[in-house]
Amino acid sequence: MSSASEPVVGRSRSFLAAKRHRTVRKNSRRIYSTYRDHQQGSSDEERGDNKEVDSNDPEEMFQNIQFQKEIIANIRSRPWPMRRKLKVLKQAREIVLKYEGQLTRTRGYQTAGADLLKKLYRVLYNIVVTFIPWEVRIKKIESHFGSGVASYFIFLRWLFGINIVLTIMTGSFVVLPELLAGAPFGTTRSKTIPKEHLASAQDLDTIWSLGGYLQYSVLFYGYYGSVRKIGSAGYRLPLAYFLVGMAVFAYSFIILLRKMAKNSRLSLASASDENFTFCWRVFCAWDYLIGNPEAAECKGAAIVNNIREAIVEEQEKKKDTSLAVLISLRILANILVLLSLAGSIYIIYFVVDRSQKLEQEKPELTLWEKNEVSVVVSLITMIAPSAFELVAQLEMYHPRTSLRFQLARVLVLYLGNLYSLIIALLDKVNSMSSAPHASSSNWTNTSSTISSLSSQLSRISVSEHHNSTMATISTAINFIHNRSSLVTAYNQTIPFEKNARSQQDQCWETYVGQEMLKLSIIDMIFTVASILLIDFIRGLVVRYLSDCCCWDLESKFPEYGEFKIAENVLHLIYNQGMIWMGAFFSPCLPAFNVLKLIGLMYLRSWAVLTCNVPHQQVFRASRSNNFYLAMLLFMLFLCMLPTIFAIVRYRPSEHCGPFSGQEKIYDIISDTVASDFPLWFSKVMSYITSPVVVLPAVLLLFMLIYYLQAIARSLKFTNNQLRIQLQTERTEDKKKVFQMAAARLQVPEASADKNPDQQENDIPSQEGSIHTSSPQQNGSVSNIQSPINRSNSVRTISQSASGADLNEERVSGFVRSPGVIVLPKHQVEPISNRPRHFIGGRSGSCRSKSCHHMAYNPPSGLSNAIHTDPLYRKTIRSLHPVEAAGIIAAQNYGRHRGPTTRYVFVNEHRPRKKLLCSTTRIPRHYLLEEPTEILELYPRNIKHYTPRTIHQQQPPRSHTAQQLIKEEEETGKDRKRTSLGKSLRPCSLPDHHHQAHFYIGERLDSFRESQRAGYEMQEDDEEEAGKEGIDWGHFNLPSPSQTSIKEKESFHTQRHPVHSPRRQYQSPTRARHMGSQLKPKLKGQLETHLTESDSASIASSSDQQNSSTDQYIQVIHSKERHVRSDVRQEKVSKKKHKTNFDLNCTESNDLICSNV
Amino acid sequence: MGTTASQLAKDSLSEYQELTFLTKQEILLAHRRFTELLERDERKNLNSRVPMEIIHTLPELKSNPFKTRICQVFSTSEDRDGSLTFEDFLDLLSAFSDSATLEIKSHYAFRIFDFDDDGTLDERDLEKLVNCLTGETEDTRLNDEEMKQLINNILDESDIDKDGTVNLSEFQHVISRSPDFVSSFKIVL
Repeated sequence: MSSASEPVVGRSRSFLAAKRHRTVRKNSRRIYSTYRDHQQGSSDEERGDNKEVDSNDPEEMFQNIQFQKEIIANIRSRPWPMRRKLKVLKQAREIVLKYEGQLTRTRGYQTAGADLLKKLYRVLYNIVVTFIPWEVRIKKIESHFGSGVASYFIFLRWLFGINIVLTIMTGSFVVLPELLAGAPFGTTRSKTIPKEHLASAQDLDTIWSLGGYLQYSVLFYGYYGSVRKIGSAGYRLPLAYFLVGMAVFAYSFIILLRKMAKNSRLSLASASDENFTFCWRVFCAWDYLIGNPEAAECKGAAIVNNIREAIVEEQEKKKDTSLAVLISLRILANILVLLSLAGSIYIIYFVVDRSQKLEQEKPELTLWEKNEVSVVVSLITMIAPSAFELVAQLEMYHPRTSLRFQLARVLVLYLGNLYSLIIALLDKVNSMSSAPHASSSNWTNTSSTISSLSSQLSRISVSEHHNSTMATISTAINFIHNRSSLVTAYNQTIPFEKNARSQQDQCWETYVGQEMLKLSIIDMIFTVASILLIDFIRGLVVRYLSDCCCWDLESKFPEYGEFKIAENVLHLIYNQGMIWMGAFFSPCLPAFNVLKLIGLMYLRSWAVLTCNVPHQQVFRASRSNNFYLAMLLFMLFLCMLPTIFAIVRYRPSEHCGPFSGQEKIYDIISDTVASDFPLWFSKVMSYITSPVVVLPAVLLLFMLIYYLQAIARSLKFTNNQLRIQLQTERTEDKKKVFQMAAARLQVPEASADKNPDQQENDIPSQEGSIHTSSPQQNGSVSNIQSPINRSNSVRTISQSASGADLNEERVSGFVRSPGVIVLPKHQVEPISNRPRHFIGGRSGSCRSKSCHHMAYNPPSGLSNAIHTDPLYRKTIRSLHPVEAAGIIAAQNYGRHRGPTTRYVFVNEHRPRKKLLCSTTRIPRHYLLEEPTEILELYPRNIKHYTPRTIHQQQPPRSHTAQQLIKEEEETGKDRKRTSLGKSLRPCSLPDHHHQAHFYIGERLDSFRESQRAGYEMQEDDEEEAGKEGIDWGHFNLPSPSQTSIKEKESFHTQRHPVHSPRRQYQSPTRARHMGSQLKPKLKGQLETHLTESDSASIASSSDQQNSSTDQYIQVIHSKERHVRSDVRQEKVSKKKHKTNFDLNCTESNDLICSNV
Repeated sequence: MGTTASQLAKDSLSEYQELTFLTKQEILLAHRRFTELLERDERKNLNSRVPMEIIHTLPELKSNPFKTRICQVFSTSEDRDGSLTFEDFLDLLSAFSDSATLEIKSHYAFRIFDFDDDGTLDERDLEKLVNCLTGETEDTRLNDEEMKQLINNILDESDIDKDGTVNLSEFQHVISRSPDFVSSFKIVL
């Protein structure tokens, strides 16, 4: 249709344009068809054809070329065999070449340039690929062990890259300048090894503990000179040192965040909650990279386990195995883990403390005493994870969960270790930084001592205010020390050497750096040892001793070492954390780490290839990528804190390092700004750093953050909506397929009642999607509405296309096979938006087996039955009748446009009720029957009525109007109430609820009146009244006016209250029906039509628009009592109604359109 | 490497780069590996075929449970024996390469899993697929009941139109949600 209209439009605009348009279209089609035909193998003609597409229209030619270029660009992503790709490529290139020459010259140059660029890019890419380190090695590992193991090495390589950059930063800006231009070794005190240490400076154990020459080298903070400018160029080393120290953190942060952002962008597609557990386990199970037969075997076993596991899980979703035992076990396990964590932290603290004491007490330390701290820390980091693993077996979690727990615990352990270490160190630093003060006061002359003392005094007085930290106390002690030493300073003369020695020894920054480097080294040694011992030796033993052993070493006890990806990655993260922590105090630490990582890379890859088997439970590589990175980020942040704290909190050592003599390390910035920059700059800086600027800036930042967050939230929201829309769309697709499937089925009519159970089984699952989505969207009805609106139109179209034939076919579908029965039901959906509920209601009634009777009357010979059975199912009852009614009404309404089809709603009540019918109402009945077009009854309110009357013909209106007036007299009060509710269309649940209560009061009165009038049994009446309310709902529903719908809602929500007036009204109708000739007819048909499927009948009835049929919908109330209709039910129904009614409105509109 | 490079004409090399997701080095490596599989006298001929059995001796494919299907899918041979020419081989590597798109990977995955080449994955295909994964031995094989349930579950999840089979778009939908399909659907020489 659109293709037909397009040329017409084009012609009307301009003939020429239209012609061109068409030819372009034609060409493009031809070009595309080339490829389509290629698939069938005949391309030669097309090619010839293509060459003939030789017109002088440059626009067309350009288009053609564009197409060809597109093809060339995308050809590699087409799943064709190479030969065809070659052919197509050649052909496309020919065309491009041929025509491009005919186009302007510049275009030709452009493309030539682009080609050249592309080639260059490709060459560059090829070169770059060769320079990616260890690419081959990783590929090899990947091809043996799969992507999981490879992800560890890729992560390692990435860390290696980061460390390279960090090394370059520190190396080129700090270490090299110091080496080249700084004061040479031995010239200043901080660069000289003290005499009494000189003898042992080259001893192995001194070197080993990073003392001696190493201590006085560029490795550590203490070596760097504090001269402001060094060399002839005046390089500001202290400033550079500080800036680089900060830049290390900044760079790490930026690179990490960027990587994470990139990863999360990549994983966006998988962000949805959808879970295809089984499909993934089967379709994506195999890792095609695995080339090693052993690994393949492993993987195969893992897949089998995985699949079995999933099946078992599915089979018994809820399996409660002695919950108490399990819980107590888990509690025990957690207690154990916590204990071991606390223990490890305590041990570290204890060891650091002890080493400190030992250093003070003993002049000479043994090797063990020197390395105690790092050895203990490394041991703990090695042993504790295995212990955790043992503990985790107690817990009996799902393997994946236990892996998560394990990771979290190990991370906490690592962090705890690092933190307890650094805290202990800083504690030591604290005591150290107090000591130099004592000696420094001796060394410096009195005046400076006094000045420093006064400054300290002021500092202390300030800090006294917030004397919460331990440090403050130490400063206070410091102060006291100071004073006492001051006293002694006047009369004491202490040998210079001794002073100097203590000063140099007390360089706390160097000390921290030493400890970190030591820790890193020991960690490396332990890693190597563990690889050799645990993996290699074990592998050797298992391989060569398995023959001479009584049990199978390979599969039983020692086995081969597993490569535990997650733990290894965590270890890398831990290692990197140490580097970050120590980098400021030991500028060469990144360089050392680079070496370490290189070694680790080779060793690990060798070990993996020779003696490891992949972990059974492979942590999903791609998903965990960001998980690793997040942990790394966490680590970075936590490792930065102590460093920053030390920088901010502590006074730099007096006699070593680039910041000696400063009050705080960061003073270097303000000093530089003050001294080395022009005056205006420092002025500007002072302005910028003043609160006037800083506060607004901070505020602005906050606002920005808030704003961005709001945007993110709204995007999330839209995202969600889109997803829901997609879901609905998908269900629509499903339905469409159902329709098609149903259309294929042809069988004579039959009843669906025979297999209600199956329907019940199927329907809920299919309903699921919409039902679940609608409650979520309670607040925003529009969401649902929009997709459904659209779907509506689709449905109606399909409906009209399939025509009346479908109807029969559908009906027939029921009979054929029980399995198919669901399909026709869905077929019904296009007609009415509410089908699900309707079906639900229907099935509910079927379930009860008390299907009551439907009324119905098919003059055309087609047997249609519309059956609403609102009353009997406890849960469903409250919902479905209304909706069913909605369907009917909607159809009804739509049908009025076309040839006459009438519905008569018949309410059949208990016989005793029939007696109550009053003659005055009979005209009403006629009213219903006679006007062929209209069926809607509007007993409630004239207001509601009016909109409808516009569409409807006059006679019924007048009749009903009269009736309505009568009604109004009867229920005047009520109507006022309802009108109140009606006026606001988007009324919320609470509103209804409120109204409900209102009504109850009101209605009860009238109810009693009515009782007085002759009804018996209040309970019964109430119930019935409720039912009647529902019935009336049917009548109201079709109306396009929303107010009426609203009213209906209110009615439904509270059936009980509404009943009395309505009941009065209705019972006459009922009676009327009974009395009239219809009654026998209905009765006669009741039995026959009971067998029919209701849904089918609805479908058919809607299809029969051209046949003039009177359809009777008889709603029959049973005598069952649902005295306890739950409030819950009501609530649910309210919700449903709300959405449903809106939908109904739109639906009816759509129907009208389609009919017109 | 220089000797092998000379065997591949420069322009065809660049064309292969254009048409596949492989880099120059990878193509050359592939060529070297491929020619090793050929008989000495056939090495000059670019169109000579390597029978499936010999392709399967490649360590990268040796332990792959789908190796037969992979060869069949990528083979352009007339008599469907799964033999590969060098170009077919490049196609294979390209589809399994790092930089191939998800779409093309899932397309080929679908074809690999479609054992009877009828364009949909029906129950028999799925059964074969699962059997391939689990192996044929008695203790690893799923029994009938498990198999039935598994297949039902798979169809439940993926068969959107409820026609009892999984078609390409349904398959791609499922696959595109998978976090690690792209990273595992790879073969590296």
